[in-house]
Amino acid sequence: MSTKRKLVVIGAGMASGRALEHLLDAEPDNWDITLFNAEPRGNYNRIMLSPVLSGEKTYQEIVTHDDDWYAQRGITCRFGEKVSAVDRDAKTVTGADGIPLPYDKLLVATGSAPFIIPLPGHDLDGVIAYRDLEDTNAMIDAAAKPDAKAVVIGGGLLGLEAAAGLKMRGMDVTVVHLMGHLMERQLDEAAGYLLRKALTDRGINVLCSANSKEIVGEDGRVKALLLDDGTELPCDLLVMAVGIRPNTQLAKEAGLAIGRGIHVDDQMVTSDPDVLAVGECVEHNGAIFGLVAPLYDQARIVAKTLTGEDAAFVQKEVSTKLKVTGCDLFSAGDFADGEGREDIVLRDPARGVYKRLVIENDRVIGAVMYGDTADSNWFFGLIKDGEDISEMRETLIFGPAYQGGDPLDPMAAVAALPDDAEICGCNGVSKGDIIAAIHDGANDLATVRAVTKASGSCGTCTGLVEQVLGVTLGDDFVIPAAQSVCGCTDLTHEEVRRLVKSQELKSQQAVWQELGWKTKDGCHVCRPAINYYLLADWPVEYQDDPQSRFINERKHANIQKDGTFSVVPRMFGGMTTPDELRAIADAADKYNVPTVHVTGGQRIDLLGVKGEDLPAIWADLNKAGLVSGHAYSKGLRTVKTCVGSSHCRFGTQDSTGLGVKIEKKLWGAWSPHKFKLAVSGCPRNCAEATCKDLGIVCVDSGYQIGVGGAAGMDVRETDLLVQVPSEQEAIDVTVAFYQLYRENAKYLDRPYKWIAKVGLDWVRERVVDDLENRQALIDRFALSQSVYQKDPWAEHVRERADSYAPVADLTLQAAE
Amino acid sequence: MMDIALDAPTRTFVEASEIWVPEGDRLVHAGGNYGILDEFAAASARESFGHGEGLPGKAWAEARPVVLKEFDGSYFKRTEAAKAAGLTSAVAIPIFDGDTLKAVLVVLCANDSERTGAIEVWQASDDILRLDDGYYGAAKHFEWVSKHTHFPRGQGLPGAVWAANTPILMRDLGSGYRFIRSESAGKAGLTTGLGLPIPVPGDETYVLTLLSARGTPLARRFEIWDARSAKVGKSNEAVLIDGICAREGPLWSDEDERRATAWQGLIGKVIGSGLPIVESKVPGLAAGFDSVVALPIHQGGELSHVVAWYI
Repeated sequence: MSTKRKLVVIGAGMASGRALEHLLDAEPDNWDITLFNAEPRGNYNRIMLSPVLSGEKTYQEIVTHDDDWYAQRGITCRFGEKVSAVDRDAKTVTGADGIPLPYDKLLVATGSAPFIIPLPGHDLDGVIAYRDLEDTNAMIDAAAKPDAKAVVIGGGLLGLEAAAGLKMRGMDVTVVHLMGHLMERQLDEAAGYLLRKALTDRGINVLCSANSKEIVGEDGRVKALLLDDGTELPCDLLVMAVGIRPNTQLAKEAGLAIGRGIHVDDQMVTSDPDVLAVGECVEHNGAIFGLVAPLYDQARIVAKTLTGEDAAFVQKEVSTKLKVTGCDLFSAGDFADGEGREDIVLRDPARGVYKRLVIENDRVIGAVMYGDTADSNWFFGLIKDGEDISEMRETLIFGPAYQGGDPLDPMAAVAALPDDAEICGCNGVSKGDIIAAIHDGANDLATVRAVTKASGSCGTCTGLVEQVLGVTLGDDFVIPAAQSVCGCTDLTHEEVRRLVKSQELKSQQAVWQELGWKTKDGCHVCRPAINYYLLADWPVEYQDDPQSRFINERKHANIQKDGTFSVVPRMFGGMTTPDELRAIADAADKYNVPTVHVTGGQRIDLLGVKGEDLPAIWADLNKAGLVSGHAYSKGLRTVKTCVGSSHCRFGTQDSTGLGVKIEKKLWGAWSPHKFKLAVSGCPRNCAEATCKDLGIVCVDSGYQIGVGGAAGMDVRETDLLVQVPSEQEAIDVTVAFYQLYRENAKYLDRPYKWIAKVGLDWVRERVVDDLENRQALIDRFALSQSVYQKDPWAEHVRERADSYAPVADLTLQAAE
Repeated sequence: MMDIALDAPTRTFVEASEIWVPEGDRLVHAGGNYGILDEFAAASARESFGHGEGLPGKAWAEARPVVLKEFDGSYFKRTEAAKAAGLTSAVAIPIFDGDTLKAVLVVLCANDSERTGAIEVWQASDDILRLDDGYYGAAKHFEWVSKHTHFPRGQGLPGAVWAANTPILMRDLGSGYRFIRSESAGKAGLTTGLGLPIPVPGDETYVLTLLSARGTPLARRFEIWDARSAKVGKSNEAVLIDGICAREGPLWSDEDERRATAWQGLIGKVIGSGLPIVESKVPGLAAGFDSVVALPIHQGGELSHVVAWYI
């Protein structure tokens, strides 16, 4: 009779396979091993299924243990056979043949099962998980159909690998991800942005913040995925890759202690001393495992426990890599924001590189890298060892081989531009033209401007022209120091605006990365500006970020010095009605408004409203047809009017009518700074139109439109932009001027400051002379208004009323 | 087991490979493997090419890979010697580092109705890769299909190379590889494909694909080395990221990394010099193969990858 000890292993996955290798290396002759596997095959390198899916590897290449391997070691393989029962008292395992098989030691390695979201339609044909070779082959088969479409739910590691593989196979692929950025457990937003960009570049459609609602079928087969916003994504294959759950059913039936997984101690022993467990099915100290490194550690420990050696499994930091050819990323440790944590960020937009280290108490506790992972192992070592990095903090981000580093050089980018690259878009001046002028003796900005006209119009290319001068003349030209937006970047506002447009940057993450921001996600200075530039240039694509706004704009009310707020309903053109006045009076009574004030902008200000009352007072005012006056916004404020020809003996035109029309067109729009208008019915100018950002003075022959007035810290009379004969033209010029200002001015520059920089002629050319351009500005404004002309009061009452509630209701507490 | 694993003595798809490097204003011979074609080898060693002259000069002047399938009446300079050696087709691949030509690799094939394989040049236009030209030997149907196939970014071997900007080795051309082409590839016996970007000055995008068939392999061992500083640091090294060998099986490992260091071994010579090599019957050839072609790829101002194929 054999003296060998009987080991039964349930599950031939990577963890048990590695455990068997260690065990048989240590004790080749001591064990009589039977290996059950529900899959009809032995151990293969499951994490390499993605390259098999893409065609970059074959299944044969990823087989870890072939038939010979098992045969040479005398392992009895029972593949394709499920274990039906474990009898721990009798110490037997029963397979498909119903005959109990005795064991001395049992190793449970049942792995995990993919989590299937119980959406309606999840059981349709063509809906699969991504777990094993069968799933992989199902995907390969699906891709063989001409013009086949796939939807992958889940933008984590597995989902993205599946998407990339299916794309390489020729499928049209959409990834649907619930969270705001891809691989949110492993990557921060910045790295998620770069990953999304790389995947989009390879033709994969990526939808983030997308919630699946229903899987639509036809004749029992998947036909489309329906999202909760109504989007329907047609598909022939739907892959769910949203996570895994430990397979604990058998262990549970056998009466072993389980939680989320099978409970094991540091020796990988379950609640039964003769039953061990390893791999994705286990739970150790509250943790479950999905990456391979800890599984291999467990395998080593379980083998030692079986051979009677002392060993203990210790959970270690794990790192992540994605197996999509061409996407180099790395993440390890903890990179959430937190008190006392600091970031070190390095970005190289040209190479698509982002590196971020999270430092706490002079130790690296987290690292995220995209595009350059050469030093990832070194950083991973620092995290695991908890090494004190205070001595090398300054150069840490450059890695171990830092030799002075390569600071980012904006000049290199200009030097690399071809001669026909356009530098000055306004005047069509190329880099070659400027170099030719420099060679002819122009050696400073003013001369280049005089000779070529480059930077002579809107001026946004001034920095570029200076850089061409610098590149061409070398040390003979010193670029004047420009005022950067803030400490997060060396770029000026003008440069940022130009690059947001030219590089089509449509998200904050895109700006941070592509423009090489030095901080993770900007600061209180740059964020409001960037938020504005993005929403002004990409009204449809960009989603306004309330967190990047000042409190008044966030709360849609002006905060007062006692912490209360003011509420100013809009009165279009300064006109109101008895009903509106009654509603305002009622609201003032109902909410105990202490102060009611008539503003200089011809409307009524309710001062002293408590924050928590805001949604209710807004709702009441809304009911009377009143909307927000945006008295707090960097946007259109009021259009002040006089009564004009309807009532006044001197009125030449219907100034109130025009004021109402303009305000109805412009309200709700955001701009670089507040924007005030007025329309006076005659040159007596009762509406004080000549000190507004844009003021119209009606005359007998038409409408004089002046711009760039001010009546604040600076007092300034408007300059005449144009006189037009018709009301419609006055409206058109007003809208076009506002849009030109919105598209070009530096954040927090009022129009008069902006005009001083670009010149009134430049404005006039675009708004007055070039009718095609005027219409284009009007069209772009209309597009923006289709998104932004909505009453924030109604929206907040509907969607965000809760955020105005006080933290605790102290009045109620006191009463009780 | 391996699709390229037939290790019996067999006729190969490529008859000769040679390297031309710029010297002054001419391209001069810098080595080659001509097998038994001694006279063609001797004729080649005597040759040199000016800018735009002959096949290597054309690849230099036009800054693009050039496929030439008919020597007679063409710009090919060694027509008589080639004819005598039975050579009928050639592909010239320029190796640029930015605007600077480092070398031109020329591979020559014999028109043989029994030899199957493919050397294809794909060019991007309007967000699509289309076949610029290719040499297919006997794989006529596959040639026809390829001419009528195009690849968007990320799709198929060429599209994936384009999107990832990295050489890619595919094992499974006969299965699901942009369906129509895969079916035809399977019938032609084409199984393993190496795709690589061919960076050239200017805005054009080229992808070269070498597709190897079982019976008349283009190579029996392929290697892809990653030398980017983003991958290996500034260490003048490269790491083997993928490879397959008829004698040694898969060459990749997700646990043990294989590295090559500049000037050490044949791959090291490519890493150190940034120039391609064609070597035969020299010490240090992997797995006892007779010859190797190793090609550097320069991107973003550095040596980014080395691809090598052995037979």
